Amino acid sequence: MALNLTINANNPPLGALLAAEHVKSSVQVSVEEGKDNRLHISDSIQFSDANSISRYLARVAPALGLYGSNLMEQTEVDHWLEFSARRLCDQPSLTAVLGELDKALSLRTFLVGHAITLADLSVWAALKDHSDWLSQGKSFPHVSRWFSFLTSQVPFSSVGNKYASKKA
Amino acid sequence: MPMYQQGDSRSSEHALQNGEVDPAVSALEARQDEILRKLYELKAAVEGLAKTVTTPDADLDVTVSSSFSSQSSRSIMLEGSTDLDTLLGEDLGALRDIVINANPARPPLTLLVLHSLLSQRYRVLSTVHVHSSVSSVPPQLQSCLGPRHPDSYARHLFQLGFTLIWKDVPKLEMKFSVHNMCPIEGEASVARFLFKLLAPYPSDPAAATLVDSWVDTAFFQLAEGSSKERAAVLRALNSALGRSPWLSGPEFSLADVACYCCVLQSCAASSAPANVQRWMKSCENLGHFSSTKQLLQ
Repeated sequence: MALNLTINANNPPLGALLAAEHVKSSVQVSVEEGKDNRLHISDSIQFSDANSISRYLARVAPALGLYGSNLMEQTEVDHWLEFSARRLCDQPSLTAVLGELDKALSLRTFLVGHAITLADLSVWAALKDHSDWLSQGKSFPHVSRWFSFLTSQVPFSSVGNKYASKKA
Repeated sequence: MPMYQQGDSRSSEHALQNGEVDPAVSALEARQDEILRKLYELKAAVEGLAKTVTTPDADLDVTVSSSFSSQSSRSIMLEGSTDLDTLLGEDLGALRDIVINANPARPPLTLLVLHSLLSQRYRVLSTVHVHSSVSSVPPQLQSCLGPRHPDSYARHLFQLGFTLIWKDVPKLEMKFSVHNMCPIEGEASVARFLFKLLAPYPSDPAAATLVDSWVDTAFFQLAEGSSKERAAVLRALNSALGRSPWLSGPEFSLADVACYCCVLQSCAASSAPANVQRWMKSCENLGHFSSTKQLLQ
């Protein structure tokens, strides 16, 4: 099964691209640049918002555990997907939101469970778009630790270098 | 003969040949029996302890719990066996209590529908509280989970707790299993959690994602969007409902609960196109949506 992901070249959906990068060992996903974000599954089913694309990709590669390993982790992943889409994107001020995120990460290496999930991908992607938060990173030590830990890993660094620089 | 006897003392296989047992072997066997007996005693003791842990008031009237099992009824519309222990991990004796903080300015209609479905499937201990951050809550909101259960003093008789707290929160939040779960924000995520306690999501990745995509559309475009966005969603609903009886295909799903409640909340029901009107009637016929209309009046 080959999937086709079209991305908006001017504003690439980093979270969905990261999910595609993670699942590429189990599913073939080809990425094309275009006007809108769209994951083409069949002629009747296409998903266009970033969270649906991520959810679908996580579900076609269940062995990776990107959607958590049980019902409780799934619910936490859902929480962070909404958090990144509603609270982190298009927000002029991040101070209060970063405070919440810092608290959540104080005792955790990953946002949910003990491995990478969609939660990490989507929150990392939303923060990457807000590069200005790094200037106040000192006030949020746990977010900074978690962010640089993920940034240093391969799918994150390669996707970050390839796409984040395109946003001018 | 003496040579054979020497052989006997070395290997136990030969020991029984002439009815004689080596004393060393019988001593070993006695020790093994003693160890096994002690292990059985320990097992019984642990089982006894486990029983007192899982039933905090084990000495309470047994007839009450037996009267409960007779009234357990199965949900008609949601098939599929779901077991709370497999879904939520083993029950450690305490009631699994789902605590929801909701703002009375925006009653969470989907959660009330799901509460009604959960009560049909499980023995649910439902309670409503008013937090000190809100001054007055209309009576229909205070009684929205139905009358107080006559056995509510005995928490161990219930499988699930559903505690709704009217509170001045900017966004609805759920607290459950707080030791290993962060507080869950937003009605959509909470609704997904509650629905998965009732029926599993479709196993096909596309069908499952379609359900989630409708849930997002309902909460973010129908309930919070502009009138233009709302009209676009109603058109999308209409065309999807022209192809199948329910939003995600032949089966009733969370997509239907979420979209029904959000259409109702956005007051778009009267102007909805034909397929949407017909589908809303079908939802109402299932009988779990009546509380939503009462709350909006």
